[in-house]
Amino acid sequence: MRVSMRWLERHVDLADVTPEQLCDDLTLSTAEVEGLERFAPSLDDVVVGHVVSREKHPDAGRLSVCRVEVGEDAPLPIVCGAPNVAAGQKVAVARVGTLLPGDFKIKKSKIRGIESHGMICSVRELDIGEEHDGIWVLPESAEVGQAVSRALGIGDWVIEIDNKSLTHRPDLWGHRGIAREVAAIYERPLHPLETTLPEITPGTPPMDPWPVAIETTGCSRYVALPIDGVRPGPSPDWLRWLLLAVGQRPIDLLVDLSNFVMLDLGQPNHVFDRNGLERRGRGIVVRNARAGESIETLDGEMRKLQPSDLLICAGDEPVALAGIMGGEGSKVAETTGSLLLEVATFDAATIRRTSTRLGLRTDSSARFEKSLDPNLPMAAAGHFARLLAAIEPAARFPAPATDVGDWQDPSTTIELRGDRVRTALGKALPNEEIRHILERLAFEVEAEGSPDEGRFRVHVPSFRATKDITLEQDLVEEIGRIHRYGQIEEKPLHFDIAPPPRDERRQLVRHLQDRLAGGARFHENLSYTFIDDALLEKLGDLDLPHISVINPVVQNESRIRRSVTPSLLPALETNRRNRTDVRLFEIGKAYEPEHANDRGEPRERHLLGLAWAGPRPSKKAAYHENRLMRLQSILEDLVRSWGCHEPRWTAEGPRPSWAHPGKCLFLELEGPAGPVAVVADLEPGLAPALGLSGDLDSEVALAEVCLDRLLEAERGGTGYKPLPRFPGIKVDVAIAVPESMPAAELIGLIEEAGRRQVADIELFDLYRGRSVGPGRKSLAFHVLLQSEKKTLTDKDERKFLQRLGKLLGDAGGEIRGI
Amino acid sequence: MNPADTLEEARRRIGTCDDLDALKEIERELVGRKGIVASLLAEIPKLDPSERKARGQEANALKQAILGLLKERREEIEAGRLDAARRAEGFDPTLPPPRARRGSLHPITQVTRELEDLFVSMGYEVLDGPEVELDHYNFEALNITKDHPARDAQDTFYCDEEGRLVLRTHTSPVQIRAMEKREPPFRVIAPGRVFRQETTDASHDHTFYQMEGLVVGKDISVAHLIGAMKTLLRGIFGRDLEVRLRPGHFPFVEPGFELDARCPFCPSGCSVCKQTTWIELLPCGLVHPNVLRMGGIDPEVWSGFAFGLGLSRLVMLRHGIDDVRHLLDGDLRFLEQF
Ligand SMILES: [Zn+2]
Repeated sequence: MRVSMRWLERHVDLADVTPEQLCDDLTLSTAEVEGLERFAPSLDDVVVGHVVSREKHPDAGRLSVCRVEVGEDAPLPIVCGAPNVAAGQKVAVARVGTLLPGDFKIKKSKIRGIESHGMICSVRELDIGEEHDGIWVLPESAEVGQAVSRALGIGDWVIEIDNKSLTHRPDLWGHRGIAREVAAIYERPLHPLETTLPEITPGTPPMDPWPVAIETTGCSRYVALPIDGVRPGPSPDWLRWLLLAVGQRPIDLLVDLSNFVMLDLGQPNHVFDRNGLERRGRGIVVRNARAGESIETLDGEMRKLQPSDLLICAGDEPVALAGIMGGEGSKVAETTGSLLLEVATFDAATIRRTSTRLGLRTDSSARFEKSLDPNLPMAAAGHFARLLAAIEPAARFPAPATDVGDWQDPSTTIELRGDRVRTALGKALPNEEIRHILERLAFEVEAEGSPDEGRFRVHVPSFRATKDITLEQDLVEEIGRIHRYGQIEEKPLHFDIAPPPRDERRQLVRHLQDRLAGGARFHENLSYTFIDDALLEKLGDLDLPHISVINPVVQNESRIRRSVTPSLLPALETNRRNRTDVRLFEIGKAYEPEHANDRGEPRERHLLGLAWAGPRPSKKAAYHENRLMRLQSILEDLVRSWGCHEPRWTAEGPRPSWAHPGKCLFLELEGPAGPVAVVADLEPGLAPALGLSGDLDSEVALAEVCLDRLLEAERGGTGYKPLPRFPGIKVDVAIAVPESMPAAELIGLIEEAGRRQVADIELFDLYRGRSVGPGRKSLAFHVLLQSEKKTLTDKDERKFLQRLGKLLGDAGGEIRGI
Repeated sequence: MNPADTLEEARRRIGTCDDLDALKEIERELVGRKGIVASLLAEIPKLDPSERKARGQEANALKQAILGLLKERREEIEAGRLDAARRAEGFDPTLPPPRARRGSLHPITQVTRELEDLFVSMGYEVLDGPEVELDHYNFEALNITKDHPARDAQDTFYCDEEGRLVLRTHTSPVQIRAMEKREPPFRVIAPGRVFRQETTDASHDHTFYQMEGLVVGKDISVAHLIGAMKTLLRGIFGRDLEVRLRPGHFPFVEPGFELDARCPFCPSGCSVCKQTTWIELLPCGLVHPNVLRMGGIDPEVWSGFAFGLGLSRLVMLRHGIDDVRHLLDGDLRFLEQF
């Protein structure tokens, strides 16, 4: 909200308060000040000039050559193009060197051979209005040579207050409310404001009060005041300047006055043309809209209504969307002088719902939705009528105001304990000060019991009681903010507390992060929870159940991921363009709506996604240089270092959509019912869609680890094994077997041949080629033979190889070399 | 060959030998079991007895002399080798080492860890909460009723037409979840991801990170809150910063504050603090009695304070990051820097 200091001065004395000081004090005690600016700063530089003479320019008929007295030694020669300039006028003069809005600097110039030492300004050139037909003619009384702002008394500072910091304070949506705070802060009196309705001047025949019927619970009070005799025309200058200062464009007297009352008291109001109302039906009806009903609002939009919306009707015909905007048909005809002022209280939630649904936020709806004081309408009607009567002597009030509605005074009484205030603030505020602060804020305070007891009954005035102040704790805030939180000394927290319980999940997360960012050289990524429909479509996952938001920011990004690894896929292309080797991981949440609990919360899963992309390995690369196997060994490292033993790999499991149909493995651990991780090559069909083709053709290995399952897995120390007492024999053996024999079977044969003397087997080479023959492969192992009873000899090695040779022979294999 | 010639020959051969293996070979030829000296000695028994002694002494002296020469030369060769080894030929101390390749932790993770460690050291428990949250926890239980205008300030992603499920707009729902499962006194923090339905630009993203804090105990006051927030800022910025508390409205605290800290980046105004020398850092306040009640805690007996810290913003402040969208767009050129 924009607050004018000159406007505030109508309600409270601001002598000796600088604008900066006021901003600081409002910030520290009341609400967040977002900015402070000088109103129309060019008016501080432009001076009042007196046009001494005006002659036609000898060479240009439409130009005038003026001599303008500006309080300097001699009048200035100024060439002016405005048709309305005349000798004797007081005008606004921008002298040489003055900077006008739009970075326009006035220079000495020659216009068609005649020197010009300044400019006579129009209001548009000064950025205070739209008119540009002629120069701005100042009142006769303006003192020559003075800055225009000073001469007219319109120099002003405008304070911008963050609306978000006012959502709980309906009373601060007008200048008087802000002035009340200022009065409390500086301990100055708030000037009284007379708001009783002016006298009725009945016409002939005498007029009855305007009939109003409220047929809805959405309106608790409706005041309607008939007004006659108002001639159309502009507002007086004082009113125009105040509106301009807070950024409201003056229109005409009625609109300006309506705005002024709203910006002064915070109470929206509306002026109807009575003739227009009468043509539609006698009397105002406030009711809910009917299904299928619609109204054309003043902005020319046709609005479709719902039964929860409130309408102001003339008879049965809607003339306004209550509390939000007038109807197109409610415009005051220029010639009519017969009006009806509406000032009402509408239900905050109702107004808010309608305004949100229609996307129609107005100054009026913004105020109503804050829960306005139902005492305000009559005061606002009185304020409006008195101001109007003062400005427009012809205005008459032909009938008493109608005042209907089932409203209750919200003012209330709260018990306040001084001790409670002191405990909550952590400061020993005397009872007397507590009382004094509340009284400054217009609360009435009665002591209960003996005066030292510090128990009070605090009467909350209605303008604070609609929503803001309902509890003792609310009063604590009032006291704290006016006393100033800066006056409270910090205190350390003291209380006995047990150390927090061991947090396995957090430890696991850190473990995985450290391990991956460390030796595995992966980079941690965080990506959006939303997943692009296009990506889901490529994955074929569009039909899976997803949580979706109904109001996405980006079209087609409404779904919430059910899995983390797909989130990493779109990042691969750009990264591969910039980097050869791309290793990303992300730990995040994913949601499965089909597994919702009885409260409707979807199942939340904590997942680790991994993606590793790079150029494809050369044909000559060793078998284990592909990323899939390397990622497998990283996963083994992750779970083993977490304390899980015996990870098992299996090809059986629920294959994710991004996984290669054949090259996909599942990691199982003792404990959880289901695989802990899946690792796979990227499904080849996805590569082009992900931009990983052509020069970015990549080998991509992906994995996903379920942290929830990993946390269920059995953990334990590796267990100490005594060191071997006898040296072992290392045997390297290359074995040729049919292509169809799985490595696991071969390893089983080696163990069998070793007769419990095989302490370790490690595959170190896999070879296919001419020397092993078609349909066959060669696997080479380091085998460590070791006994607990004796030092093994060459003889033991020979026996082992003999047994192995025999077992292999039965299985169609052979030892190729040792 | 006579011993003198033999010695001369040995001296020549040993003196010109540069290699330890070759020297071993010479040793074998001269003084080995079948070497020259051995053959000299072998001839002694065939000699006249009167000559035997002198010739024997002569042969032994020759052997000793040769062994001496060998030892000397061996030492020379070894020393030479060491000298050669100590010469740094071809070594360029300015040669760049192979690029150190490493992984990285996301800057959000780094700052979260720091804060978690700080708070855990002060007895706080670290909690996690769902990102897809019930309206009840995100709003209702936090004293933000259906038509509360405060809902405007929190542009919400709704997951259904009825508005039962939302993407949490703040980490505050964890306050209620914490209260439901705990007996006071307790202290918790809850870092995590939050969402606001707003268009993104360099300083706003619809997804960002916050950290909630909640302390519930007996007679918790604004004074305690100020103390705790100063400790937090000391942990973040590594030094004491002047703070100011000003009124701020959040329906779940009463009184509610905005805590500003003196801008750590400038003495008298900069772009970070928008020339005000204050940076708005922590919305906080005493827990509203209604919220305590919603969490099953009696506000007549217990009180507490809560605060929220923008982790994304903190990361941006700390590293001088100019575009919040870098945080979540998965670009290695960004991630590698941390
Ligand atoms: Zn600064």
